[in-house]
Amino acid sequence: MRSEHANLGQALLFLSVSLVILAAILMSRRGRQLFIRRIPGLSAIDEAVGRATEMGRPILFTFGLITIDIVSMQALAILSHIARLAARFGNRLIVPLADVPLFTLAEEVCREAYAAEGKPEAFNPDDIIFLSDQQFAYAAGVIGIMHRERVSSAFYFGYFYAESLLLAESGQIAGAVQVAGTPATTQIPFFMVATDYTIIGDEYFAGSAYLSREPTLVGSLVGQDVGKGIMLLLIVAGTVLAVLNKIMPGIFTQNYLAKWLGG
Amino acid sequence: MFGPAHGAKLWIYIGATTAAFVAVFAVLHWLPVRFKRWLVVVCAFLGGLFYSLEYYLPAKHRWFPGGENPLSPLVIPMGNAVAVVSGFALALGLINLGLVHGRNIARARPGWYNSVAFFVALISMIVFGLWQSYVPDAARAAGLGLSGRQVHRVYDVLFSGLFQPLGATLFSVLAFYIASAAFRAFRIRTAEAAFMMVSAFVVMLGQVPVGQWLTRGLPTSVENPLHYFRLENAANWLLNTWSMAGMRAVDFGIAVGALAMALRVWLSLERGSFFEVRESKK
Repeated sequence: MRSEHANLGQALLFLSVSLVILAAILMSRRGRQLFIRRIPGLSAIDEAVGRATEMGRPILFTFGLITIDIVSMQALAILSHIARLAARFGNRLIVPLADVPLFTLAEEVCREAYAAEGKPEAFNPDDIIFLSDQQFAYAAGVIGIMHRERVSSAFYFGYFYAESLLLAESGQIAGAVQVAGTPATTQIPFFMVATDYTIIGDEYFAGSAYLSREPTLVGSLVGQDVGKGIMLLLIVAGTVLAVLNKIMPGIFTQNYLAKWLGG
Repeated sequence: MFGPAHGAKLWIYIGATTAAFVAVFAVLHWLPVRFKRWLVVVCAFLGGLFYSLEYYLPAKHRWFPGGENPLSPLVIPMGNAVAVVSGFALALGLINLGLVHGRNIARARPGWYNSVAFFVALISMIVFGLWQSYVPDAARAAGLGLSGRQVHRVYDVLFSGLFQPLGATLFSVLAFYIASAAFRAFRIRTAEAAFMMVSAFVVMLGQVPVGQWLTRGLPTSVENPLHYFRLENAANWLLNTWSMAGMRAVDFGIAVGALAMALRVWLSLERGSFFEVRESKK
């Protein structure tokens, strides 16, 4: 099998964005105060847990159908935050899963969160459930839990497919406050209409930094924004070059940037 | 990297791999937590370094031995190793399901009969799934008084007659959920909602024959600017120009966010139980 390789332009772009992110992390760790804007969806997580406490009903957290990857790593960090809040306020947290390796990690994250709050005995391993790795069997299981347990708050953080609307509409019918976050662009519209708060695009990867306010993660978040700025400049430059290539083909014989980055 | 093995060599490979796994698990089990964390940090760094170098180094260069990227041939064995480790986890999932449902039955919790149904379904699928793959679909006896054909039919009923229709049924519910979600989304309460309603109306009409029929009188020639007002063209313009641009903007943000997250995981800067728990107890 022949694997794909980056060209020089792509490697340099990757390196420069990575260096910007690492520089921002270093600045933040050295005590420089960096500003991060308010993200309503992430702020709503604490409110949703608070609502569950007031109503005395469980919280549900689901990852969708993902396995262990960058998306699930972020979801685990958010789960850790929610599990700590649930442990602090004595809420029941139910985490149904569709992937076994992720199930073992989720169980460990919740166990450690309860222990970190000084309530290891409150952790119930039966609430971290592997349901099925089949899409609709998993969706049916989660919907069943939502209605049987009458969850008051539902969190959807991970990667979702057609089951996204099934879950979110069922949560809506069950009367749960719902917060969703996914990098799956095709599922964002469904979450937008069916949940109370939706975290989209790179806001999803800002989750752990926003919730913990740790200098390392905040620095990474600011570096991420600068990286987006670099991308924006490249898009503008590429657009200008494409236009010049059209109107002055004698001088600008090709879109040099597209050639450099495209290989 | 590793060629196919047969006979005694195959058994030696299997034995050596199993022994290595047992030894690694034993060492991991007895190591203090501090060392376990370091092991995770080192493994994460080496794994990330391998895949980064493999991708960012060119496929061919005169500096490489033999002129080829020396890491590329290792990509498939590395992927296989990860798949094998993930395969072990399947047993954990089955054990978890068995424990959860077993406790439901033992303690006669409400809905315990659903757990009985789970065990019946699990055992039936495992038995008939394996059985049908070992016996031919023929009239010959396959054991327990059943013929091979009967075993295959039972499996068909379980899989094609039960499992697949149940999934399809749930999928079909999506149609009603889309309608109810659309109803909420299209309630015109703000200027943005009104704008979205009009755009959605144009896109929906542009996708169906009646929409194309409504504007059939407008010119089809691309030379005539009025052709943009044909509903199918307007719908395509909204989808391919405005919607696509928005989607790509979101994708760019996701790519940079994923890169930042990948760097944090690679360098073990991310918070979580598998790395250092940095949050102070509140």
